[in-house]
Amino acid sequence: MAVALVSLTSGCASLQSSATEVGGVRKTDERPVRDGGTLTVALNSDPDKLDPTLAQTLVGRTVFAGMCEKLYDIDEDGAVVPQLAAALPGVSADGRTVTLTVRPGLTFSDGTRLDARAVVTSLLRHRDLPGSARGTELAPVTGIRATGPLTVSLTLDHPYVPLTGVLADRAGMVMSPAALKKYGKDFTNHPSCVGPFRFVERVGGDRIVLEKDPHYYDADNVRLDGVVYKPIPDGNVRLANLRSGDLQVGDQMGPVDVRSALTEPKLQLFNSPSLGYQGIGLNVGNVNGLGKKPGRLDTPIARDVRVREAFELAIDRDLINKVVFQGMYEPACGPISPQSAIAPGVKPEDCPRRDVAKARKLLKEAGVRTPVRIELKTSTTPEQGRVGQVLQAMVKEAGFELTLRPTEYATMLAETDAGDYDVFTSGWSGRLDPDGNVSNFLKTAGAMNAYGLGDPRIDALIAQGRTVADPARRTEIYDELTRRVQDAHAMIYLYRQKNYVVATKDVAGIRVYGDGLVRVRTAGYTR
Amino acid sequence: MTKYLLTRLRQSLITLFLVSVVVFAGIRALPGDPALALAGEERSPEALAAIRESYGLDDNVVVQYGRFIGHALTGDLGNSSRTGLPVADAIGQALPVTLELAALSLLLAIVLGIGAGVVAAVRRGKPEEWLANVIALIGLSIPTFWLGIVLVLGFAIALPVFAASGYVPFGTDPIDNLRRMVLPAIVLGSGLAAVVMRQTRAAMLDSLSADYVRTARAKGLSRRSVIGGHALRNSLVTVVTVLGLQLGHLISGAVVTEQIFVLPGFGKLTIDAVFTRDYATLQAVVLCTSAAYILINLLVDVVYSVIDPRIRLGGAR
Repeated sequence: MAVALVSLTSGCASLQSSATEVGGVRKTDERPVRDGGTLTVALNSDPDKLDPTLAQTLVGRTVFAGMCEKLYDIDEDGAVVPQLAAALPGVSADGRTVTLTVRPGLTFSDGTRLDARAVVTSLLRHRDLPGSARGTELAPVTGIRATGPLTVSLTLDHPYVPLTGVLADRAGMVMSPAALKKYGKDFTNHPSCVGPFRFVERVGGDRIVLEKDPHYYDADNVRLDGVVYKPIPDGNVRLANLRSGDLQVGDQMGPVDVRSALTEPKLQLFNSPSLGYQGIGLNVGNVNGLGKKPGRLDTPIARDVRVREAFELAIDRDLINKVVFQGMYEPACGPISPQSAIAPGVKPEDCPRRDVAKARKLLKEAGVRTPVRIELKTSTTPEQGRVGQVLQAMVKEAGFELTLRPTEYATMLAETDAGDYDVFTSGWSGRLDPDGNVSNFLKTAGAMNAYGLGDPRIDALIAQGRTVADPARRTEIYDELTRRVQDAHAMIYLYRQKNYVVATKDVAGIRVYGDGLVRVRTAGYTR
Repeated sequence: MTKYLLTRLRQSLITLFLVSVVVFAGIRALPGDPALALAGEERSPEALAAIRESYGLDDNVVVQYGRFIGHALTGDLGNSSRTGLPVADAIGQALPVTLELAALSLLLAIVLGIGAGVVAAVRRGKPEEWLANVIALIGLSIPTFWLGIVLVLGFAIALPVFAASGYVPFGTDPIDNLRRMVLPAIVLGSGLAAVVMRQTRAAMLDSLSADYVRTARAKGLSRRSVIGGHALRNSLVTVVTVLGLQLGHLISGAVVTEQIFVLPGFGKLTIDAVFTRDYATLQAVVLCTSAAYILINLLVDVVYSVIDPRIRLGGAR
């Protein structure tokens, strides 16, 4: 099987005339581009609200990348760099005062000026607006005030190192105060920020149209006239449209479609490692629902950690990657990506290997009756279904009888949050700062801890990771945290996706970084 | 006549009210919490509480229903909980797409189906009949999704005659509009065309063996006039009835077709709303569809009663 796949890969790669092959990282295309033209980008789903305070979806972030710049951004290597801010934040010795300086001469798409007061307005809204999706990540910020025309001072109730990473995402987007005042709750239908493109119209489920913004500070270097984002959930359909030339960019392409795209001389591939993870969550103590204190559950996997360890030992991560994802993702066994610029996590080659004999032995020691019956709730996508089937076959050899229950998204959320499950497929799109991949999920009674995991040592490590600024020390903290989480076997990390973006050859200048967003500021058609 | 109309109107309104109650309750009976679906990846208890409050999800169902109907009567269908866009706008944008798709598919089904049906009946026992039957069988059996993908591969990629997806309003660019709508219309209309063909063939075979056709032939009328003027005209009554019955299938078939060709129509709107538990959109869409059905039924009954007085008189003579 593996040999066949390797030969298949090399066969496909030889057909690729662009500088990529599957697995090879390619984040940019620096060929010169001409002025003019509209780029059509296919997204894998329709974004939710186009309001940085309320927005929840990853695809929404891709649209924001075209029209709402942030105080900070990341560069190609995943390092945080100033975007609307003039420099990286200044942090006081006690870590509790953070000073932000804003670049001079910035103008919102509605023509009003961006100054320190506008930044304060946006940050307060992100933190305090009822229903804000940014509230948790800005919770440690107790005071926000303008100390000069272009300087903002933030007071924290404790040192909070992830803040810079947070401000390099939606919480760092600055909205026009005039537009906020004019439209209020309806800002989502008239978004106005600083960005290379500005909002024109949105037809739900069909398209989001942006045009070049003449107010943009770097408008001279924006070559496209506009960008259209179209939600096309089906990968086949997205690929067909790329081939026919109706689309120029396909975001978040699945391995199967990327394989097909490789044989097309008209298409090129971009690929960057992702900061997220995919795996399976085990219910070890979620009896009262999400955000509540864990309790005792009387199931074999919750009762005895050896049963969970056996379950994990029965899994071959490499094989999942090969069989389900054609070897195009990466095996993973921890919450933090090895590509993370801050405290990189476990490399794929260092993940535990499958050991069926040891798994059987553990089950015997635990004294459980085999086969141990477990139900796995999977999402309804074909890929997740295949992951489930492969797991089913693998763990069977160790003495588990895994039944699969494909569950539609909204139902899955409700059931897993309530603790009404044994095991479920669980993933996360990832955040720049490692804290965004661990705290909500692994802290006792954390807002997303559906596993019912409660470990004081993990809680302490999470708290330390948020307050220690020294990168080397942070790496040690997250390494220990990862080991603790691995030993708990409550969330079993299986693989890390890669951001595959397919584009037509006549387009250059798009950028695909580790945060999974397609950046179109420098994009255009080749000369 | 007026009394009959008033009675039918009252019945329609009661039906519409019952439908609205069933829809409202049915949507809320779906498993899954809309606040959770809305909150997506980042759901703190505070955020969930705020979402529930802003959409009035904490109020009891009767209060929520009252609010929904009250707003709906003033033409305000609310805003989509997912995108924040006004639902009335979404419906206004989706309706022309689905109507055009249905109309084109219907046209295709009528032209192809009736044509093939007449040929099959007239050339009974000849290869043409066999061919028409086989094609109809294929038309009935092919899964919509597969046919869609094959047509895109063939006529949008290999031979780039048509577009693979997307929608351009007819008023904006008629040529581009048709370039995008032909393939979806074929996909949606193929099954219906097969049904129409079989019905036409059966009805034509009946008509062709009827006495009046024999009389027409005996009078020495041309073959064309016998087939077209006499047999087909009488056969069309059954075909039209079947077409009416199939309209519902056309609308439901549009759901899959719109997904394949990324047409922002009613079907896509409905599916998206179901999966994201977008109550406001879903309620409005189902209610509008039901209202349309009820209205069409009412109109049909009125037309029938004008044509055939026995209907409004309850069959009394």
